[in-house]
Order: sequence, then C-alpha cells, then structure tokens
Amino acid sequence: MQRRTRVYICCSPHKRTGATTTARLLSDYFIANGRNFAGFDTDPQEPDYGARFPNAVAIVDSTKVQGQVAMFDRLLVHDETPKIVDVRHRFYERFLDTIEEIGFMDEALTAMAQPIVLFHADATEASLAASLALARRWPDLCMVIVTNKGSAPLGHDALDILAQFPSRRRFVIGALDTTARACLEASDFSLSHFLLTPPSDMSIVIRMGLRAWVAPIFAQFQTFELRAAMEGAQFL
Amino acid sequence: MKPAVILVGADKGGVGKTTVARALADYLTGKNVLTRAFDTESPRGTLKRFHGDMTEVVDIDSTSDQMKILDTLNTTQVKVSLIDTRAGALARTLRALRDVGFFEAVHEGQFTFILFHVLGPSIASLDEIAETAPFVADADYFLVKNHVNDSTFFEWDPATYQTYFSNTRSADEVTIPKLSEMAYEQVEIAGAPFSTFVANKTDDGRPAAHSFVLRGYVRTWQAKIAEEFNRIQLLDLIAGAADKK
Repeated sequence: MQRRTRVYICCSPHKRTGATTTARLLSDYFIANGRNFAGFDTDPQEPDYGARFPNAVAIVDSTKVQGQVAMFDRLLVHDETPKIVDVRHRFYERFLDTIEEIGFMDEALTAMAQPIVLFHADATEASLAASLALARRWPDLCMVIVTNKGSAPLGHDALDILAQFPSRRRFVIGALDTTARACLEASDFSLSHFLLTPPSDMSIVIRMGLRAWVAPIFAQFQTFELRAAMEGAQFL
Repeated sequence: MKPAVILVGADKGGVGKTTVARALADYLTGKNVLTRAFDTESPRGTLKRFHGDMTEVVDIDSTSDQMKILDTLNTTQVKVSLIDTRAGALARTLRALRDVGFFEAVHEGQFTFILFHVLGPSIASLDEIAETAPFVADADYFLVKNHVNDSTFFEWDPATYQTYFSNTRSADEVTIPKLSEMAYEQVEIAGAPFSTFVANKTDDGRPAAHSFVLRGYVRTWQAKIAEEFNRIQLLDLIAGAADKK
C-alpha cells in the first residue's frame, strides 16, 4: 500500500495549550532523524514557530486567499515530506471554515495526503465541545488529543476529562521545570541542534532535564508513525 | 417540452450579467440540459470566450440574427436558448422581442420565457424593474442580486419597492454569492467555464495546474448558485412543470 503524506495540524481554540510547542517538537523530531519537513506558521504578526525554522517553515496569512494558496496547495503535494501547520488559536474557527469551504478533506483523500489534527485539549468545557464539534464535522478525521502538562494541565481529573474527548489517540507533553523551560523558550535555542550536538557549556542538570523531557515525546511520535505504517502495511 | 428562452440582462453595465449567464450555462450543462447560447455583445462576446462551443455572437437588432434565434426555437434539437444581452440593452432587447411577436407566442404557450434581471447596487435598478414590467406578464421573472464583484445592495424601502412591483407579477430573487477575487481572476485568465476550471482542465480538455484552493472556492461558489437555481426550480420551469406564480 502506498503511504500517504502526513499533514499534522497543530491547533486549539484556546491560547496557551501548547500547539506551537508541539509543532516545534515535531519539527525537531524530523530534523533529529535526518528527515525533511515543510512547516507553516499561520501567525504573520507573531510567527514564533516560523522564526525558529526560517528555512523550513513558511509564514502565511491563512485569512488571505494568497496565504491559503501558498499553504493548502503545498499541503496537498504527495511527496512523502511531512507537513506541519501551526494554527494560531485566534484563527482556529476560520481555519476550519476555510478547510470546509475549499473541500480540503475530500481533496486530501484523492491527493494521497493524510490530515492529522493534533487537538490541544484543556480542562474547559469549551475545549471538549470544540473537539466534539470537530469530530462531528469530519467523522473520518484522524484526531490526536494532545495534553501539555506544562501549558494546560488537566489536573487530578485528567483521565476522566480525557475520556470524554472523541479520540483515543493521545500525545502527552510533559511539564518542564522553570529553568529548563526558560532555556527551551530562548529564541536562539534549537532543540534538534541540542540533541545532535549538545553544547558543552550547558549545565548538566538542564541537559539531562531536557533529554528526559523530550525522549518520551519523540517516542510517542515514533510510535504513532510505526503504528500508522503497520496499519497501512499490505502483508501484516 | 416546449422550447425555453432564458434571457439574462441588465440596463446597467458592470453588474455581472455575463457571470450570471456563465453560471447558468455551467449549471444547465452540469444537469445535462442541452443548451445553446447567444451573446449579443456583437461583434465580440465575453460569453463566447468562455463557452465557445455552445455560443454564437449575434446582433439582437439585426433581423437576420433575430431570425437565427427565434425561427429556430422550434426546429433545433436544443430546447434551451440562453441569451446574454449586451450591457445596458435589456429594455431594447425586450422591445425587439416584443416587436417580432415573441411575447405573444409566449402568451399562447408556444415558448417558455425566463428572465434573469441582474440588478445594480443603485436606486436606478428600481426604475429598470418598472421599465421591464410590461414585458414580463407571462415570464418567470427573477431579480438577480449579484455579489460576485462585492456589490453591496442598497436597502430597499418596502414602500418604494411595492410601488415598483405593483405593476409587475411577483418576481423571485436570486442571489449570486461573492467569489474570492483571486479565484475569479484566475478563471478569467484560464478563459474556461467555471466547471472546467474546477475540474482542473484547460478549455480544450487538457490537464491544467490550477490552484486547489482557488478551485475549491469556485466549486463551493458554484454549489451555492446551484442551490439557488434548485430553489427556484429552474429545471422544472424549463420543462414547463413548475407552477406559475
């Protein structure tokens, strides 16, 4: 079976749920594995994701037709290069409306692209409602519920809350301690560069902390890819 | 089924008449309704540019061209004739049709006559409606608000509106929604019917490389227009099956 080109859509209707962090982690995962990717940052005003990967991430205004052409036409190119879209929370509804209006989901099927929505959950009722609305809108959509324990912790009832979301697929992004987080958020810090060639002048505590944080995240990405490959395998 | 004449016109230029005619041509073709079209923008024709295979450019004031349209209504295999009138020539076209006895024939039930009157965003459009009234007694008459080029229509005062319509058999409204400017321009550049653009083909049927996003916008826009034509039961009107209002 021919493999479809994956299109990861990192999104949330709310701010501070970690969507950009996930887009960044995915990008670093591909770089650390020596793979190409094509990213899209939909926030032309404050392109945090785009600024970190200037050679691989295009900054587009998804509210303008020109930006939509630059992004969606590229997302449908079946070249097996993973695509990553960081959808800013304030453009969330509009982004979905555009997807519906241009018939992106149907076209993705014929173009051998596989949209994967990484829905970033939080503990609010509105977050749950938005994920359910998304599942109703596109019942066949591959949705992964992402919880970022640092940005949007679900609290003690996490399991009960997650059980209500419409997908069993999950990514969990752990919380980082304050010092390591400050290091990660520095504008000139590259996670993939750190993983490939750890700077010798970095505190061993921070180094170990970052490694311990990122390892299970990358393991989840890898597991997701392996599972998808196995599901698509012809002779298993 | 008796022959049907669909006239698309306006007494003002730049209101998107030909866009409406193109949308109609696409809709009818999509519904497998054999259609021929006449473009009265003689000597050149915009409709002809997009639907060259079905369109003939005619001069509606010329007797020989009037004969070409009307005398063949009963003889041709194609039962729907779509006429895109030249800018500002709706009233003149209607008068020309009256003078050759077309409306009498419609009244006698020989032909079906459907008029799509494309309105401009100004108060002058109401005067146009009054001017059109004497010709639409036996027609299926539709007022078209065309938003494709971002027109915003004035709010019609109900009393004024009623004054104009007191002499006119009730007209239904048809709304043509806005289409992304960039998508519209790309179809213009492609010089192909909207449906051909959506199918990602060139006018001569070869594969094209049109933007998926722009095709998506055109496809959705066409679907909304089709909903409007379905709502007014256009196919039934053509077939003579829908109830006259």
